[in-house]
Amino acid sequence: MRKFHLLVINEWVKMVKKRSFVVPYLILLLFPQLLGYIIHSVSPGSFASAAGFTREMLLPTGMGQVMTILSIIGTAGIVAKEHSRGTIKFLLIRARSRTAILASKYVTVLLYVLSLTAVAAAGILLSGMIWFQTGGGDTGIADILLALLYGCIYSFVYVTLAFMLGVLTHSTGVAIGLSMFLLTIDKMVISRSFYKYFLFPNLDLSVYGSGQQPPMPGMTLGFSIAVLAVYMTVFLLAGFLVFRRRDVA
Amino acid sequence: MERTSVNQLQSDAAGDLPVLQMKSVTKMIKGKAIVNQLSFEIRKGEIVGLLGPNGAGKTTAIRLMTGLIRMTEGDVLVHGHSIRHDFRQAIAHIGAIIENPEFYSHMSGLDNLKQYVRMSDGIAESRIAEVVELVGLQNAMDKKVKAYSLGMRQRLGIAQALLHSPKLLILDEPTNGLDPAGIREMREYMRKIAEVEGISILISSHMLGEIEQICHQAVVIQNGTLVKVTRLGAQDSTENEVSLSVRVDNLAAAAAVIQAEEGVRLTGTDEQHSELIISLHDRKVPELVASFSAAKVGLYRITEHKQSLEDDFLKWTGGNRIA
Repeated sequence: MRKFHLLVINEWVKMVKKRSFVVPYLILLLFPQLLGYIIHSVSPGSFASAAGFTREMLLPTGMGQVMTILSIIGTAGIVAKEHSRGTIKFLLIRARSRTAILASKYVTVLLYVLSLTAVAAAGILLSGMIWFQTGGGDTGIADILLALLYGCIYSFVYVTLAFMLGVLTHSTGVAIGLSMFLLTIDKMVISRSFYKYFLFPNLDLSVYGSGQQPPMPGMTLGFSIAVLAVYMTVFLLAGFLVFRRRDVA
Repeated sequence: MERTSVNQLQSDAAGDLPVLQMKSVTKMIKGKAIVNQLSFEIRKGEIVGLLGPNGAGKTTAIRLMTGLIRMTEGDVLVHGHSIRHDFRQAIAHIGAIIENPEFYSHMSGLDNLKQYVRMSDGIAESRIAEVVELVGLQNAMDKKVKAYSLGMRQRLGIAQALLHSPKLLILDEPTNGLDPAGIREMREYMRKIAEVEGISILISSHMLGEIEQICHQAVVIQNGTLVKVTRLGAQDSTENEVSLSVRVDNLAAAAAVIQAEEGVRLTGTDEQHSELIISLHDRKVPELVASFSAAKVGLYRITEHKQSLEDDFLKWTGGNRIA
């Protein structure tokens, strides 16, 4: 495990060397500026402060969703492309276990999400400071960090899903397509009590924050965290078990 | 086949392990045996050809050796380490190109090699320069791999396989898609690698001529089953009997000369080309030529009569078409 970080460096280098690498970062920096401008010109009073704007934008209902989409696009191919390009053969005939290789890829995916989140936060904060008052309002740094955390968790669940799909299907298209499809329908609510055990209603943890009603009766923050943990574990287990055992043709 | 070189006997006595041991390896896919009870060995410094008609299981066998696919039964030992139970120890002794060498084409050759350096233990910095020089890619290291020709990619593949100084190099159809100059170049690399670095090489190929030219041993498989293991190359046969094909103007007169000559046997006649196939001791050849001229038999040409690997191959595999 001592040399695990070298595997992560490998994966990171492969991503950075892509010419399109900076595009999602640019989007996350520039898009909030445009958004801030539009909101400011339509209704200047909608956000009391830059902090309030930042908090609201980072949530899965705001830029958090864009961040997730970009994360999925950026990482869905991390396993599937090795198969389609044939580079998986050179990758797997090294003195490293398949578990370590896949784990290094997953860690890289998480790091990528974190880096996107950091850039998005910076972009949003900048936009907030340009278009809204820097002081005032009742949103503090703790609120912003919490929103950042919720946005990250939302993205983590989706990239983990896309990661598993990439391992199982060897297809970047299926991994991106299916997870994007789920992303677009995840706000849908089916009013049956069994639905609270599904992934979707539990994805946005920010609903528990401000004394709002939970999406469905009987749901709590702890419940949602537990459900998310179970789903993530299943996704990862499925991915790792299949990757370890599968014949590479 | 009976020739086992003295070196090998000595290394056996020293308790040297074979570099690769296939032990009744079987791979079943959907109830069908793709590779069936395949066993053979590769010793140090040996170049071995893996031959077989299309679909014989050559690539499957190589994927089994490198752990890319799991075997149903049997085991592969690389330098004594099982690829099943001790994968990382075993694979550390193998360098391989399986089918086409595929690289990250958006990265430079050097960046690609660095990837594999980070994935192996104890590779010195200088090793990259060493292997790059061996395959002659010094001037292309900073170019992106997508700008490489197939021959260059093949060479980068060899560099990649040699980085961690393996004991066994596995090359799957290494001359596939190369032009004649590239094929010749590849052959020279393989010789150099086997001689200079003392690495054993396993080459799978359908190019029988290739195998015949550089391999010490050929392993022939068909339908996943071992058909034959044969030694190739008559390089140490000067002390032995040679088989010659002699073209003459008069077959009957020539046959009479041969009969009169002691230690010369007539093994065949090819009337169409007016040729006789004879077997004799190497040092009898000048005497025989003298006898021919004394008997006024016109001699057009003398060539060594080799049964080509192709003939053997077709015999062993029952004339199955090779592509």
